[in-house]
Amino acid sequence: MAEDNELLLFPDDLIDQLHDKARNKVEYWDIRAGLSKGNTIEFSDEKSKEITSYLLTGCSIRTFNEGGWGFRVLKSASKQNLLDEFDNAIKLAKLSSSLCKFKFHIKEKDALTQDFKINSKRKLEDVDITEKIELVKGHESIASNYSKLIKNTRTIYLDSHVNLVFLDAYGTKVNQELEILRLFSSVYAQSKGIIQNGTNSIGAVGGFEVMNTEKAISLSKKSSEQAINLLNAKSPLGGSFRVILDSKLTGTFIHEALGHACEADLVLNKESILIGKIGEKIAIEDVSVIDDPRFGQGEKLNLPYELFGCYFIDEEGTPAQKTVIIKHGVLQNFIHSLETASRMNHDPNGHGRANSNSSKPQVRMGFTFLEPKDWNLDEMIEDTKQGILCEDFQYGYTDPTTGNFQFKCRISTKIENGEKKENLRDVSFGGMTLDVLKKISAIGNESTFNYSDGICGKGGQGIRVCDGGPYIRIDDLTVGGLN
Amino acid sequence: MEHEVDIYQLATHGFNTLKKHESSLKCAEFFFGLNEYLNIEIEENSIKNSEIGSDEGVSIRAIGRNGSLGFSFTNRLNKRSIDQMVDNSIKMMQSGTQDSDFINLPQPFNSYPKVNDLYDNNIQSLKIEDSIDYVKELIRICDKDDLAISQSANFTASTSRNIILNTNKLEVDNKESFCSISSNVIVKDKIKGHTSFGFDFQSERILKKINPMSVISTALYKAKQNLNRTKIKSMRAPIILTPNGVISLILKPIASAINAESFQHKRTFLVDKRNEMIGSDQISISDNALIDGAVGSAIFDAEGVPCQNKKIIENGKFLDRGLLHNSYTAGKEGIESSGNASRHSYASIPSIGISNFILSPGKIAKTALFDDIKKGILLEYTGDRPNLSTGDFSGLILHGNIIENGEIGPALNETMIGTNLLELFKKIDNKSSEFETFGSYQAPYLRIDDIQIIGSQT
Repeated sequence: MAEDNELLLFPDDLIDQLHDKARNKVEYWDIRAGLSKGNTIEFSDEKSKEITSYLLTGCSIRTFNEGGWGFRVLKSASKQNLLDEFDNAIKLAKLSSSLCKFKFHIKEKDALTQDFKINSKRKLEDVDITEKIELVKGHESIASNYSKLIKNTRTIYLDSHVNLVFLDAYGTKVNQELEILRLFSSVYAQSKGIIQNGTNSIGAVGGFEVMNTEKAISLSKKSSEQAINLLNAKSPLGGSFRVILDSKLTGTFIHEALGHACEADLVLNKESILIGKIGEKIAIEDVSVIDDPRFGQGEKLNLPYELFGCYFIDEEGTPAQKTVIIKHGVLQNFIHSLETASRMNHDPNGHGRANSNSSKPQVRMGFTFLEPKDWNLDEMIEDTKQGILCEDFQYGYTDPTTGNFQFKCRISTKIENGEKKENLRDVSFGGMTLDVLKKISAIGNESTFNYSDGICGKGGQGIRVCDGGPYIRIDDLTVGGLN
Repeated sequence: MEHEVDIYQLATHGFNTLKKHESSLKCAEFFFGLNEYLNIEIEENSIKNSEIGSDEGVSIRAIGRNGSLGFSFTNRLNKRSIDQMVDNSIKMMQSGTQDSDFINLPQPFNSYPKVNDLYDNNIQSLKIEDSIDYVKELIRICDKDDLAISQSANFTASTSRNIILNTNKLEVDNKESFCSISSNVIVKDKIKGHTSFGFDFQSERILKKINPMSVISTALYKAKQNLNRTKIKSMRAPIILTPNGVISLILKPIASAINAESFQHKRTFLVDKRNEMIGSDQISISDNALIDGAVGSAIFDAEGVPCQNKKIIENGKFLDRGLLHNSYTAGKEGIESSGNASRHSYASIPSIGISNFILSPGKIAKTALFDDIKKGILLEYTGDRPNLSTGDFSGLILHGNIIENGEIGPALNETMIGTNLLELFKKIDNKSSEFETFGSYQAPYLRIDDIQIIGSQT
């Protein structure tokens, strides 16, 4: 539709006018505009609760001058409105720069004029709503019929087809067409007055074919199994234990406890435990950590889609790229936006991300993971006298200024004399990031490696991310308990 | 100013298009939302970003004769897009399953409560240049402080307008304003090199109530109180929850647990506990939407139902009518909605949310709560949340201190607490007359007897 695409056109004469307006007034600007459409389907107890269809447009103008930023989010983006509001956005940058203490300049970058289109086998737009509903119904049916103890099921499917354009002061113009989808399953089981929950999700950048992968197909069964298994799980004993983390929890640890501390905006704001530690050994020799949000990671893991946390360019027009964060225990790099890279004399490495056109880019991770080594899981368990095997993640957080972190696992298993014993529920464990990186006593091999996806919150924005790693073992972790 | 759209005209157009589908449609709702805001951001204790934005859009909720719900939304406000949204909502509705629990959308109401000070013209006319003074005050005080090394902070002001029209002829239109200021300060002990953060915020409907000095002072106090942390041994001890601690450990979990949707699905630890004592007689909680000028106050909810002041828990007893309802969950129970329908924006279907959620204060001074504690814990903040289905809570004390002989002592490092909320409610043995308000929550200090503390000192 002509009207739908009007916002994405940006003819050369309009771009020339924007460059003219900015000249000698602001040193940098960028514009993001887009059109998204999609569906949300929610069922509970095999009944539809929400079936939604939407169409949204969005456009924002960001401006920069001598340390100060301006940001203008528009309701509509007709050509005239855009030109008028561009002047207002320039005024906003001038206002910020007139008051800011730290003057700096954005490092000039090369213009990027490459487009990207996701290669979906079944485009979301071509899949009728009834087929999407059948998918959700199928998952509801699996969960509801899994056991008589299942008392409540909930399945949510979300998708969006997005057309985006990015322009900047250096002549960058990138058009992107993306498809993003997510399936979420939550199941409650009840027995003898105890209620337990199992929750799983899969997210991807790709077409509807993602829903035919093994992980997606088994999603509701997995949630049901979890909820039932947890009914018999006991509350843990608090204390200090040798703890084995599954790949999901390893990923969470790498993302929450280490990754956020590597975000250069937190480093500049003195909110990181890693200030001044580049080049220092902060972990045992075997620890190497990477952030690599480039498309193509899915293929490496034999998956027929792109990982949920991956992207072509970040929201500042910097291509996604591989960044080595820790190599052989030594801290190598922080992750950067245009601003932090400019201020810390580094090249931007593609981590200026925003969750929509109406939000400003912040320094954010993409796909962050610990590289595998050589232990297998059985060896780790056999080599543990008293410990806990923790699997799956409920949530986690970190105090950035001290590195004190805390994670809550979904299901855990007690280990005694090298053998798995009873199941435990709601095990939480915590520690100090820099201590724990040195208390890792085993890192799993390639076969124990996996990844998970989720939405990470920072500064009011939730952004799609992935993290991962192998199973690892950590000695002397503090475990919280009720007894 | 960007273009103006006549929303009533668009809605009339939308309802006319809906008439084509009368045979399958039971009722429908047209929701318009407009939000205009400005925001100034501080990083590294320096002004970093000035932002102005606006968002407006409409959604259509169509419910079929079998109770099936179809929903669509867009921010393209023209007749063509509305037609497309109407068609989509009908298509979505026809694709859904039967839902005999759906009764009806709200009928028109004869009257609405009067609540003052929900809209401030000074916010509507506020220029971004004039809001700089608020953040300058934060920067100045942080600069002056010996231990503060950095601050991220924010001032935001917004106005919103919601219009709700439904096929039962309910029609409401209202404007609200909002402003808030927040400060996250980093302090460093120059000798030991330890760092810590402290956070505080204030949100209001009326601009002149914003007090930057109080916000930064509280953030600094909290940051300093959390410096030089020490490990302790595991023990059972009394704890005092600060108002912030009460909000995270008691009020937020209860607010989630009395959400009628979770409740009806039996997902919460308070299921089957109505009309029972669920804790000590110190707990009285109400959800009051009718307080003049309060952030959680409103005249009507997100479906146009008049808001109320509701008692939830009275002297420890969880009241029969102590659930928060929207029209769907109320219909399912055969009662009237409590006026707690809530939506983030036009882009969401109504869920259920609190108004002003208040744990009533006590009669004694806060200092008296500490007096007879020989050894205990002060808990200001935990990032953890309880398991809502079981009420089990095991979490890290992110900001907390040792209490020794009635005095607040060193900050806690790597210390956790473990309990079940129903156990904790029973052990509340006193509360202070002083209380604090954070957004839509209000709480006093509470003292709780004998809680398991897990320390990391061996």
